[in-house]
Amino acid sequence: MAQERIELPQGTLDLLILRTLAVESQHGWAISERIHQISSDVLLIQQGSLYPALHRLERRGWIKARWGTSENNRRAKYYELTKTGRKQLELEQDSWKKLAAAVAQILETA
Amino acid sequence: MFNDLFFRLRSLFRRGTVESEADTELRFHFDQQVEKNLQSGLTREEAIRRARLEFGGHEQLKEEIRDARGVNLIETSWQDIRYGLRILARTPVISCVAILSLALGIGANTAIFSLIDSVMLRMLPVQGPEELVQLQIQNSRSAGRQDPFGVFTNPLWEELRNQQNAFSGVFAWGSEKFDLSQGGAVHEVNGMFASGDYFKTLGVHPAAGRLLAESDDKRGCVGAAVLSFGFWQEHFGGAQSAVGSALSLNNHTFEVIGVSQLGFYGANVGNKFDVAIPICTAAQFDGARSRLEQRSWWWLQVIGRTKSGISPEQLKANLSVLSPQVFSAVVPPNWEPQQQEDFRKRTFVTTPAATGISHLRREFQQPLDVLMGVVGLVLLIACANIASLMLARAAARHKEIAVRKALGASRARLIRQLLTECVLLSTAGAVLGVFFARWGSTLLVRYISTKDNHIFLDLSFDWRVLSFTTAVAIFTGLLFGVLPAFRSTRVSLTSAMKGSQTSDAESKMKFRPGKWIVASQVALSLVLLVASGLFLRSFVKLVTMDIGFDRNNVLLVHADLHIAKVPTEQQPAMFEDIENRLRNLPGVVSASRSLLTPVSNRMWNNVLQVDTPNPPKGDDALANFNFISPGYFKTLHTPLLTGRNFNEGDTKTSAKVAIVNESLARRFFPNSHPVGKFFRVEPEPGQTAPPIQVVGLVKDAKYGSLREDNSVTAYFPVTQVPEHAEAQSFELRTALRPSALISPVQDAVAGVNKAIPLEFHTLAEQVGDSLVQERLLATLSTFFGGLALLLAMIGLYGSLSYLVTQRQAEFGIRMALGAPQTSILVLVMRDVVLVLAGGVTAGVCISLAAVGLLQKMLFGLAARDTVTLLASMGVLTAVAFLAGFLPARRAMRVDPMVALRYE
Repeated sequence: MAQERIELPQGTLDLLILRTLAVESQHGWAISERIHQISSDVLLIQQGSLYPALHRLERRGWIKARWGTSENNRRAKYYELTKTGRKQLELEQDSWKKLAAAVAQILETA
Repeated sequence: MFNDLFFRLRSLFRRGTVESEADTELRFHFDQQVEKNLQSGLTREEAIRRARLEFGGHEQLKEEIRDARGVNLIETSWQDIRYGLRILARTPVISCVAILSLALGIGANTAIFSLIDSVMLRMLPVQGPEELVQLQIQNSRSAGRQDPFGVFTNPLWEELRNQQNAFSGVFAWGSEKFDLSQGGAVHEVNGMFASGDYFKTLGVHPAAGRLLAESDDKRGCVGAAVLSFGFWQEHFGGAQSAVGSALSLNNHTFEVIGVSQLGFYGANVGNKFDVAIPICTAAQFDGARSRLEQRSWWWLQVIGRTKSGISPEQLKANLSVLSPQVFSAVVPPNWEPQQQEDFRKRTFVTTPAATGISHLRREFQQPLDVLMGVVGLVLLIACANIASLMLARAAARHKEIAVRKALGASRARLIRQLLTECVLLSTAGAVLGVFFARWGSTLLVRYISTKDNHIFLDLSFDWRVLSFTTAVAIFTGLLFGVLPAFRSTRVSLTSAMKGSQTSDAESKMKFRPGKWIVASQVALSLVLLVASGLFLRSFVKLVTMDIGFDRNNVLLVHADLHIAKVPTEQQPAMFEDIENRLRNLPGVVSASRSLLTPVSNRMWNNVLQVDTPNPPKGDDALANFNFISPGYFKTLHTPLLTGRNFNEGDTKTSAKVAIVNESLARRFFPNSHPVGKFFRVEPEPGQTAPPIQVVGLVKDAKYGSLREDNSVTAYFPVTQVPEHAEAQSFELRTALRPSALISPVQDAVAGVNKAIPLEFHTLAEQVGDSLVQERLLATLSTFFGGLALLLAMIGLYGSLSYLVTQRQAEFGIRMALGAPQTSILVLVMRDVVLVLAGGVTAGVCISLAAVGLLQKMLFGLAARDTVTLLASMGVLTAVAFLAGFLPARRAMRVDPMVALRYE
């Protein structure tokens, strides 16, 4: 476990969850694994922040939950994106890109 | 939004399901992690250990999920409340004392505030009250120096009504007491002469029948009467048949035409009307010289409803055009030319009347403000008590708090729990306090009512009072809760876990906020004691000063021959007859009659002219008048210094004579003997006045009020009273209780004429009633000062007892090592002295800075009165030592063995 890990900035976890769920509906464990893999092991999501975030997003109506069966045949809670969630994802993606671009520009030129 | 609500509700009500779902979800995650760890080649134990480390606290995570679902706030509040109730129930006595002292504090605040609300703040219960303005008259000459006044003559009112176009409606009314009985004991009701459009302009509806209309208020009208709802209920039991029945007012018959709506008491706040009759009916009561035509009989009040869309400037401009037209039309004919000129220049001004009109505002605004401050301080002191109680309790719960913190409760969560307990206490106190307030404010109104001025206030709680009480309750809850909550949650886990009793250093530190609290209680109590001392002393001065007559054992009887329809020319003889009969009643020591009785709120004064070189001018030339029978000075015990008393020789036609008092003699006849001198009463223009010879000199006696500085008074024989004034008050000095004479007096007067209505007072009562304000302040501030002292001492006692318990082991060791008992006593009393010294110093400073505000309400002493200050300090110190001595003695008697074993 020698890789460098980065703490997520405030608010980006929601964006990552939404983005992950945009591909297909997933359970919590799979979401954290997927973020971990795709980010080439840089981002590690703590359960302590993942589950509260999932329930918060559910309350806002951006994702919804249903009970399903996992690949190893156990009851698991699957989350999927709702219509408003999809809209929210686009919005946040846009603003994130803008922010990232702006920060990058400053870092390069200033 | 809807989604959110549904989600929270599901979380709240299907809690079991939601909880187990969260469990399953987390469990699944955990197992997956273990699986993954196994796959990477770890042993089963190691895999589980790693997963658990990564996972963190299961319960904490669930707590955070609950937070995220938004149910936690509601749910944990409910938990807190239940837990708080259990904690409070565990120490019922302490909780009851806390709730009771809060209830007293909050109740007193609510009571005073509801009085302020009903006197000053409450809108009239009529249509669009904010459009109403009172019309007042400004003297052109004294503009800026003198406030405008609000009374009108009837001709002035009629002229205004006919000429104005600034208002969508105007109305006038005048108050008067009427006698419902037809002879015998008086049954007084509050009457109101109302103009025809009174009810219509206010937008008041009838509860039965109809209300007065313009057509009822025409010259030569017959009597129609409208009852107030309350009077209808009281007198007619709310029967429909009341409408159309007859009512006798001062022996004139009126037909009841209707009842006004529930909750409407008239436009005068502080007095209610029972019966409203048209202004035109005044002619029936007045006879030949009716006030309807009098241009200098000021008796009506006027309110107008402003037209919508008219700005205050436009209204002012309109009135300044209107004023000269109206005033020139009704100039009083008998005034001097200069005065008439001023009269024409008078103008109408307006003041807002949305809250009605009240004489109580001027009279009681200051006392009510002072009382509000006093009860506010009492509440603060009560809060301080509960704060120290909470501190002590929190210290006792030291371990519990440490355990909860160790189990993962956040500090914020613990603080919320402790604050919830405080809010529970203050809510209970507030609920109980509202009951106290209802009872207290009714009592207060009764207390400021006098026999002649029955004060009526609508004390039903409105939103303003309720939100005041709520705010006070929340504020006090936080006030006494915040400090203990923050302090007690600052727990060091290790020291608590060691399970030892708190170390000496720590306990000393803990007592420090307690000391501050008690010291501030001492300071505030001192301020209250000083205030109550001042009011008490000034009241005592008023009551015990030499007033020039003896108020005890005198019965006052007022007989109205006018209502009994006795012809004017027969009245003097009949009064004489009654006086003789009363004098001969058993139990009567002496009897007299007079136009006015002392300190009766009525007065007659006039300008005197003398022929000395430098006669007094202006207001200095005014003297109070009274007309008395020869027995007057003997009955009232006012000594005749020189000269003679009046006697049978002083008749209507004999030479005019007067007896003067010392103040009058000093002012008008300085450095000479007054008896034998002459003066004149300033005549009406174009007339001459006869010279009046001074035949006697009496000691000064109070005339109008006990607070007056000088009572320049001239007494004239009752036989020489001018027309239209009649001496109809009798004074009887009795050997018995004055009230025992009432029925013999009634029988005696009935022997002369059965139709004469009688009114009874005692002179002591009348003098007492003139001191309502002072008595109110003295009684209440003393009561609250005492309460504050009691609360502060409970606080001191409690804090010291707590301290002694905390330091029991230390005292035990000291004594085991040979410290004498007295040194322990000194140790504890040193704390008392410190707290006391700090508190008293602060209290003296605050008092000296603040008492200036009270100066206006004091009589005969300065606000920074040394005696009061020293006495208050003395009382406070004595009581504080008493409260401190009990725990100190307990400390002194600590058995070293017991104390050490306990450790």
